[in-house]
Amino acid sequence: SFATQEEAAAERRRRKRRLRMEPPVNSFNRSQQQQSQIPRPIQNPNIPKLPESVSALVGKRLDLHNHILKLIRENDLEEAALYTRHSVYSNCRPTIFTVNTVLAAQLRQAKYGALLQLHGFINQAGIAPNIITYNLIFQAYLDVRKPEIALEHYKLFIDNAPLNPSIATFRILVKGLVSNDNLEKAMEIKEDMAVKGFVVDPVVYSYLMMGCVKNSDADGVLKLYQELKEKLGGFVDDGVVYGQLMKGYFMKEMEKEAMECYEEAVGENSKVRMSAMAYNYVLEALSENGKFDEALKLFDAVKKEHNPPRHLAVNLGTFNVMVNGYCAGGKFEEAMEVFRQMGDFKCSPDTLSFNNLMNQLCDNELLAEAEKLYGEMEEKNVKPDEYTYGLLMDTCFKEGKIDEGAAYYKTMVESNLRPNLAVYNRLQDQLIKAGKLDDAKSFFDMMVSKLKMDDEAYKFIMRALSEAGRLDEMLKIVDEMLDDDTVRVSEELQEFVKEELRKGGREGDLEKLMEEKERLKAEAKAKELADAEEKKKAQSINIAALIPPKAVEEKKETAKLLWENEAGGVEEADVVEMAKGVEAGGSNGQDPPSC
Amino acid sequence: QMNEVAPPPSVEEVMRLCQRRLYKDAIELLDKGAMPDRECFVLLFESCANLKSLEHSKKVHDHFLQSKFRGDPKLNNMVISMFGECSSITDAKRVFDHMVDKDMDSWHLMMCAYSDNGMGDDALHLFEEMTKHGLKPNEETFLTVFLACATVGGIEEAFLHFDSMKNEHGISPKTEHYLGVLGVLGKCGHLVEAEQYIRDLPFEPTADFWEAMRNYARLHGDIDLEDYMEELMVDVDPSKAVINKIPTPPPKSFKETNMVTSKSRILEFRNLTFYKDEAKEMAAKKGVVYVPDTRFVLHDIDQEAKEQALLYHSERLAIAYGIICTPPRKTLTIIKNLRVCGDCHNFIKIMSKIIGRVLIVRDNKRFHHFKDGKCSCGDYW
Amino acid sequence: AAKEFSDMTLAGVEPNHITFIALLSGCGDFTSGSEALGDLLHGYACKLGLDRNHVMVGTAIIGMYSKRGRFKKARLVFDYMEDKNSVTWNTMIDGYMRSGQVDNAAKMFDKMPERDLISWTAMINGFVKKGYQEEALLWFREMQISGVKPDYVAIIAALNACTNLGALSFGLWVHRYVLSQDFKNNVRVSNSLIDLYCRCGCVEFARQVFYNMEKRTVVSWNSVIVGFAANGNAHESLVYFRKMQEKGFKPDAVTFTGALTACSHVGLVEEGLRYFQIMKCDYRISPRIEHYGCLVDLYSRAGRLEDALKLVQSMPMKPNEVVIGSLLAACSNHGNNIVLAERLMKHLTDLNVKSHSNYVILSNMYAADGKWEGASKMRRKMKGLGLKKQPGFSSIEIDDCMHVFMAGDNAHVETTYIREVLELISSDLRLQGCVVETLAGDLLNA
Repeated sequence: SFATQEEAAAERRRRKRRLRMEPPVNSFNRSQQQQSQIPRPIQNPNIPKLPESVSALVGKRLDLHNHILKLIRENDLEEAALYTRHSVYSNCRPTIFTVNTVLAAQLRQAKYGALLQLHGFINQAGIAPNIITYNLIFQAYLDVRKPEIALEHYKLFIDNAPLNPSIATFRILVKGLVSNDNLEKAMEIKEDMAVKGFVVDPVVYSYLMMGCVKNSDADGVLKLYQELKEKLGGFVDDGVVYGQLMKGYFMKEMEKEAMECYEEAVGENSKVRMSAMAYNYVLEALSENGKFDEALKLFDAVKKEHNPPRHLAVNLGTFNVMVNGYCAGGKFEEAMEVFRQMGDFKCSPDTLSFNNLMNQLCDNELLAEAEKLYGEMEEKNVKPDEYTYGLLMDTCFKEGKIDEGAAYYKTMVESNLRPNLAVYNRLQDQLIKAGKLDDAKSFFDMMVSKLKMDDEAYKFIMRALSEAGRLDEMLKIVDEMLDDDTVRVSEELQEFVKEELRKGGREGDLEKLMEEKERLKAEAKAKELADAEEKKKAQSINIAALIPPKAVEEKKETAKLLWENEAGGVEEADVVEMAKGVEAGGSNGQDPPSC
Repeated sequence: QMNEVAPPPSVEEVMRLCQRRLYKDAIELLDKGAMPDRECFVLLFESCANLKSLEHSKKVHDHFLQSKFRGDPKLNNMVISMFGECSSITDAKRVFDHMVDKDMDSWHLMMCAYSDNGMGDDALHLFEEMTKHGLKPNEETFLTVFLACATVGGIEEAFLHFDSMKNEHGISPKTEHYLGVLGVLGKCGHLVEAEQYIRDLPFEPTADFWEAMRNYARLHGDIDLEDYMEELMVDVDPSKAVINKIPTPPPKSFKETNMVTSKSRILEFRNLTFYKDEAKEMAAKKGVVYVPDTRFVLHDIDQEAKEQALLYHSERLAIAYGIICTPPRKTLTIIKNLRVCGDCHNFIKIMSKIIGRVLIVRDNKRFHHFKDGKCSCGDYW
Repeated sequence: AAKEFSDMTLAGVEPNHITFIALLSGCGDFTSGSEALGDLLHGYACKLGLDRNHVMVGTAIIGMYSKRGRFKKARLVFDYMEDKNSVTWNTMIDGYMRSGQVDNAAKMFDKMPERDLISWTAMINGFVKKGYQEEALLWFREMQISGVKPDYVAIIAALNACTNLGALSFGLWVHRYVLSQDFKNNVRVSNSLIDLYCRCGCVEFARQVFYNMEKRTVVSWNSVIVGFAANGNAHESLVYFRKMQEKGFKPDAVTFTGALTACSHVGLVEEGLRYFQIMKCDYRISPRIEHYGCLVDLYSRAGRLEDALKLVQSMPMKPNEVVIGSLLAACSNHGNNIVLAERLMKHLTDLNVKSHSNYVILSNMYAADGKWEGASKMRRKMKGLGLKKQPGFSSIEIDDCMHVFMAGDNAHVETTYIREVLELISSDLRLQGCVVETLAGDLLNA
């Protein structure tokens, strides 16, 4: 009814505002020639992909990044990783920054499997990695003791990636290689760094020197220091190398030079910048080389110097070093006191710090003190591990407290930790020695479905049962072994069982048992075959009867769609009829039927 | 009623709508004959930049070109950044090229538009052009240069530019310039260097530096660094303290700093494989594996081609399109005119789990609600 | 009525316009066997000149022919009429629409001097019935733009179009519109909404609409029972089936279709048979082919092909394409039983049923066994019979816009990206399948 489209459009807009009843625009626009709405980088497969820059992290993608950060702070790592994955399948793909955030959190919580899986996935998804991503991957492989793979990735990175390494890259590689006992490669990386024109990094040198100390290569330590000093123009102002240097001198029994070094680093007019780690190395060098008094003096000074957050002079390591120093001198009271001082400096001990001190207490027959510390772990929200429990168990056994030791083992398994076979064997050994066969048997029952046991472990419990005349229980174990498809019953073990049975005059029982098993297996197989046959038969039934004689042509029935309501016809009112009714009634003033 | 000519809307009305953030309605008034003045155009350009809608920007620009202000350099500069905000570099550059009297701002804004859209190289190229034109870069110029360097990972370049700024152009660096260089390091992920850079500054770093560093740590997901930088920031400027922050979860261990890593005896006690019952459970959890069932391909072709043919079945194309158009985990509904083939059913079923969405497929016989690797039809249809 | 009429004429009483209107509308409502009477009445009216001079009689004649699908005759009468009112025009439009003469109807519509709600509704309804769903919605919008307010009949038509299209967002909009109108509690509208939501897979919304209804009819109950069953909420569907009886409604054939579908969904064979018995014995509803279809489905699903065959044998009617198709599908799902399938196909040919999908199933079965000759033979046969494999297409609604895809389609602007995503998913699926080697490091550092 409009002259032009413009008029119609104007009218529509006017109405839309008045009635607020027009459905959303664009409905039923079936044309697919719309402008692409999805923002994404244009990809040329031949060029190695550049990672996205920070400018990509805006709008919805920034919201996603913040959401993931929040999840990580709430320690819901699994959801963070899953949501990141799911976002790849959406109109809001995660940026590499968001992916790195998740990877970093996984690394921090030692979730290496999940980390590598996610990394593999984003590679597939074509999200190009940046330097942070590479560093995280190197770190992960080095942490799980796969230096070869880390180096392979490093080579790929150097050869192909359109990126430059950062200092962090070299620090991670050198430190990781050193702790994986690959000093040689670590040295090569250092050379690489120089070739690439990076400034010399004292931290990298300190890691290398640490490696030399580990290998008792005092000359290596000194050589590295000389090299560093030369490159820096005659003076090293970063304190991180001095502790290692002292260790080198001490190793060569050059105490004088070692103490001169010490003076240079922490003396009154020293220009050397000392970080917490730098102090830790120096403290360690002193206390491991008979200079613990000096270490104590320095420790007091450092505690005074500590001025968080601007200047951090102590950290968790400082206290651990001092604990070790006290313990070495047999001063366990003081060791525990220092350990408990940590809280005043906002340092929180990790599991290993606890284990370290407890180990030294246990070695010196101070089980009660160690157990007290074990109690403190829960307060501090630090989770005990297999080392903690194993240590306590072994110490209990040493003191003849068999039941307490066994209780630690039980708690350990119940907290979903995984003690290995050796720990289990020590437990069984003690229980049997103490004549607690029933306990030993129940621990066996608890662990048999978990641990992969060797023949010896099986034999041990079987022998104990046999000696107690409980041959039926022994046979039951064999019975269950035969049922478990992850276990092989070796010839040797069979011989052993037969021998034990012979002692009880029941030689034939093992054969009987094994034959019975074979028979059951065969029966099951036969039944399976029969069932399959049965099925086939049922399906190939004669259908001749289906086809009726061609006689009368019946009126063909048509199937109705599931959706058609029977009342469908009535459901839609007959428009015209209704209108007519009104019309007719209106003009006559009466209803037609009544006429 | 239809033939009455309504008077064109007033400028005030347009501006009022802009201020009330009803940008689209404001822009619509232009078609009704509203004649914006200078001030009004300023508001309109800002509105378009906020909307980030190229369509609207172009419309406003068309009206601008018909107005008497079309030669105004200040307004043209705004047009450049408006198009930059709408990520249309082509339009921004066209306006820039057509400007007769470019001022310094024009160059800066064009460079920023490039950088904001991840095209730092073009921005740096423009910087060269600028010097070739005999223009003398000023303080502002170098800030845009640093921005450009940050988007292309040009760390060395940034330092070179910083030096040339001091030595060749005689501009003494201000706090902003130091922050600019820090930005290049931080945005490129060289966080160790960035922190060192702050510590080596020739003056006592202000809270801004620590705050910037805190943001770069957030950007790259380094929680511990973020917390530490925040502490330093608050130490310098207590007013920046963050309230009700979620405390950071503790890491698995402090192996970087605890000094006793080498003393661990964990290997003597821990089993290094999963327990048998755990392994069994994990294998059960793995769920179903999708193997393309090429029985559903009619054509007599080789295996790989068959799998390809399956991959592009219409329901899969529709779902894939749904995926790239909607936010994560949103339910998708697909309607098919024939029965879903067995392979697609299997594919979609497992896919629902890995993409984390509920997929509803209506075919000519019934409905399938796919969720978390299962289908409501119980695999029979 | 016809008898009374003849008595009346014999008695010499002149019929007036009301007589004609009453009888003609009767002929329209009961088209079978009333052709002769209708023609006769038309003739009589001609004699009296009522067909030309009396608007309502003329309109009634047009209506009578329309309902019989004789749109040409109707048009003749229409053209012959002296003066027409809007009802006349609407009746003619409706007549064209009923016969699928969409273009003619639209021409009529354009020629009309005044279009009212009825004219629009007749068009929209006609479009929906003839399968032109998009057009129906386009016209619905045009109607609104032209300032005509839809009533509940038009709304139901629009909802049906949405239902068939799966255009959920438009449907939601209509629902919101309905809530602001005075027919918001109209039972039929609510029933249509339930249908819409069920067929768009939004079971939750359907449940809400049903729950909020003040009054319900058998159709309402049927809608939820059938809708929930089709959506795989079989148990809930059966719960409603029970509740419906508690509320005193009598289940009808459709209700049982729903219940049986639900059973076949969950595989409740015995339960399904029980419902079938109840339907036959307690409610005396003679089972229709779709009920048998459900049962065959039930048996096939449970792998009881033998019982399925027996049932087909005992059916009072010939098995149709759907039932045989069900059996064929079962053959291919349970051990690819080609022998049985071939016999069934032969039976189909004897019944002279033309259908592509069954040939496709059989062809697939051959292919699965690597019997390519068999497969291509089937395809040749299809060609010979003039059957083509109906092209499959899928559609998805994004931002109120339908996007349609065919297999192997590359017409869409986003094709490359779509394909990339599919590649990624399939590689991801494969990765998920591989058991990832557990890292010793995970356990080492845990």
